[in-house]
Amino acid sequence: MDEKQTELKKLIMDTRTLPTLPVVINKLSSLSDNDKSSVQEMARIVSSDQVLSARILRLANSPSYGFYRVSTISNAMILLGVNVVKSLAISSSIFKVMEKNSVGLWEHSLGTGVVSNLIAKKLGLPECEEIATAGLLHDIGKVIISLKCSEAECEVRRIIEEKQIYMREAEHEVIGADHAEVGGWLAKSWFLPDKLAEPINFHHNVEASKNHRIKTSVVHMADVLIKASGFGDSGDSYVPQIQQAAWDALKLNEQIIAELVENLEEKLVEVKNFSLELQQG
Amino acid sequence: MQKIPLMTARAGMILARDVFRSESAIGIPICGKNTELTDTLIARLENLKVQSVYVEGHPVREEGDHNLDDILCDLDSRFAKVRQDPLTDKLHDIYADYLKRSMGESGGRKTD
Repeated sequence: MDEKQTELKKLIMDTRTLPTLPVVINKLSSLSDNDKSSVQEMARIVSSDQVLSARILRLANSPSYGFYRVSTISNAMILLGVNVVKSLAISSSIFKVMEKNSVGLWEHSLGTGVVSNLIAKKLGLPECEEIATAGLLHDIGKVIISLKCSEAECEVRRIIEEKQIYMREAEHEVIGADHAEVGGWLAKSWFLPDKLAEPINFHHNVEASKNHRIKTSVVHMADVLIKASGFGDSGDSYVPQIQQAAWDALKLNEQIIAELVENLEEKLVEVKNFSLELQQG
Repeated sequence: MQKIPLMTARAGMILARDVFRSESAIGIPICGKNTELTDTLIARLENLKVQSVYVEGHPVREEGDHNLDDILCDLDSRFAKVRQDPLTDKLHDIYADYLKRSMGESGGRKTD
């Protein structure tokens, strides 16, 4: 790795300039670690932040979760689980930046979340919501790279254009690390649970995922499918290769894939509507 | 018939399927098929949190006005790097089949 790469990597990985988590989330974490706290107490904390509550309700009512008409924060917390609300809170605060600046990446992320949920449901996997959240957050590294070093991001885009390569290859050339690595590192420093951190870290390298291989595989497949559909814009327009490890871990076959393609194309129409609404609102 | 996001629905389009309150087709339809959409009706559906509707023909054009050939061509270029991989190539074929079937007969654009 040359000097410039090392320098850029240092800049991006510098914890002092990391966007901080909203105070609400820290309060929520300490409450959720305490057995004695009730959902109502936690809901009160979340409700103290109007914008955040609105976004959580919006997300809980969005097509990606499939629960319709959830109107109170405590219901949202009971339905989604405290961990999901916590990660939703994290993702919505980070995505606030993204929605405005990069609609394409926001759509790609939202789409991947929705498709992760579809796959998890189709295969009858446990913790569908957490898998959906992992899908939603899988490219968080790209947000960090763009937030912390827009210069590097421009260079990455230029190289993709010039050499017609995958974004992660271009990132390696410029920064010496890719968005999955940056995202995984971010997840660690935010103390996100492993079941979210592993899919973020290894969605391009499923074999390296040891403890949550199934979840990682789902997110990998969702990423492949959403890129195959052409929905959103994740930075490059190339479908990643399906990893054998993921195919095997999920015991996929052609029949399942054909059904998933059909389901996801139907669902994406709704996701598009949701995204258009958010951009207007 | 085309399924479109409600945000892209416009007055004058004709509903091709009943609209239900939630996505599952349970309960009483809130708007019957063959109804012509009006601005007021669209606003009402919006208030009822309807996300998508089925309309007659193929009135909403994909970005860049694509016909089936263009769409398949885009699909090929998205898969350009991975066609040599048997698994991913399979996904390509499944997708191509799906697109041919869904755009099918009308070639993506029903003019009637």
